[in-house]
Amino acid sequence: MNALVEAITDMREEDAVRTANEMLDRGTSPIEVLESCREAMGIIGQRFEAGDCFVPELILAGEILRQISDVVKPNVTQASDVKKIGRVVIGTVQGDIHDIGKDIVTFMLDVNGFEVKDLGVDVPMAKFVEAVKDFKPQVVGLSGFLTLAYDPMKNTIKAMRDAGFTGKVMIGGGQIDEQIRQYAGADGYGKDAMAAVALAKGWIGA
Amino acid sequence: MKIIGEKINGTRKAVAAAIANRDAEFIQNLAKKQVDGGAHWLDVNAGTHPDREVDDMLWLIGLIQDVTDVPLCLDSANPKALAAALSAVKKTPMINSISGEPDRLSNVLPIVAQHGCDVIALAMDDKGIPADVEGRMAVVRKLFDLTRSANVPDEKVYVDALVMTIATNTEAGKATLDTIRAIRSEYPKAHISLGLSNVSFGLPVRSLVNRTFLTLAVAAGMDTAIIDPNDRELKAALFATDLLLGMDKHCLNYTRAFRKGLLEAPKPLT
Repeated sequence: MNALVEAITDMREEDAVRTANEMLDRGTSPIEVLESCREAMGIIGQRFEAGDCFVPELILAGEILRQISDVVKPNVTQASDVKKIGRVVIGTVQGDIHDIGKDIVTFMLDVNGFEVKDLGVDVPMAKFVEAVKDFKPQVVGLSGFLTLAYDPMKNTIKAMRDAGFTGKVMIGGGQIDEQIRQYAGADGYGKDAMAAVALAKGWIGA
Repeated sequence: MKIIGEKINGTRKAVAAAIANRDAEFIQNLAKKQVDGGAHWLDVNAGTHPDREVDDMLWLIGLIQDVTDVPLCLDSANPKALAAALSAVKKTPMINSISGEPDRLSNVLPIVAQHGCDVIALAMDDKGIPADVEGRMAVVRKLFDLTRSANVPDEKVYVDALVMTIATNTEAGKATLDTIRAIRSEYPKAHISLGLSNVSFGLPVRSLVNRTFLTLAVAAGMDTAIIDPNDRELKAALFATDLLLGMDKHCLNYTRAFRKGLLEAPKPLT
């Protein structure tokens, strides 16, 4: 493990940003710096899955990554960023503001190589339809915790299909189960972020 | 400290299964246990699809009322389910809840006023949960304007100061404690309730975070806890908190709780 990966996985924010800067000053390519970040995020994701680290640490890891990206991005001369394996649009449906589970899913999808567009919470159907047209994801994730979310999920899926979306849809949150998946017309559902990653990877053939 | 027993909630897996399978014994045991644990109200949440909610609520209420007289706290945003439940309850219930959201107000407040119910009022509106005390108090003041206009006395209002998850916002605890203090000072006759478990989501040893927050909230002026009445450690913390705040004359509740074995984990048999 190089010093940058270690600093990030140890949650040493200042050390991590300083080390990234030092690497760039020494002539390390921005892509290599970002690769180390990805490696660190992968380790953190595994630790979270194993119950060895927790939500606040995922958030801190995200903040560290953001700070390093801000330093690195100006130095990236080509458009080639770390290659993404697929695109996902995700959001909590209209009428529901629960977001922590969704944010964890977003983090894990990102760590596993997906490009994720997070629409936030209380997202109207029209916004999902617009996002699939513009962002062209292979997968859409709908999050909802309240039982009031089931109909918005169903209606959002229908609206996207009517607008010509042919990708896959997964739902999650609270008491989502097979019955609700069928009711809503989703292609899959999951109990946690790991399930979301597995579904998404399976669908794009990774 | 008044306790609303939170366990009969269909968003919890075991309860959802019991409702789906019509497992009457499970529900009635859960009701009895919570009453034994000192619940002053039993929260009832069918947690099911809006199409099934009326039937499920009526089934739950019937079962619970067969085994206890404790008043119910009807937990639903569905006015149909509330109306049906109101025709089935034997004692005037508490309604969980109204908030600043226009739908909730227009659908539920008239029911509260008409039946003389206690009501939990959430310090949030259709823009979401305000992050700080000023935002929450703005909603709370609007709510009291409306409850007072509907002739609902302050004493029947249980303001839920709301607590966000500390793992995603380290100011979340302070925002809630500030809100509790502000409500206590501006609306002295009203009650203040809190559902605790949000605060510890995403952290290890959640029970430690929850019961410490309970202690802080009681010190700030909270008087109604929405909790698991059978959580021994949480209840023990409540006894100690009331004691330390001068709310336990001659320390009698505390010593009685000790003799009932409520304060410590049972010693293993050797």
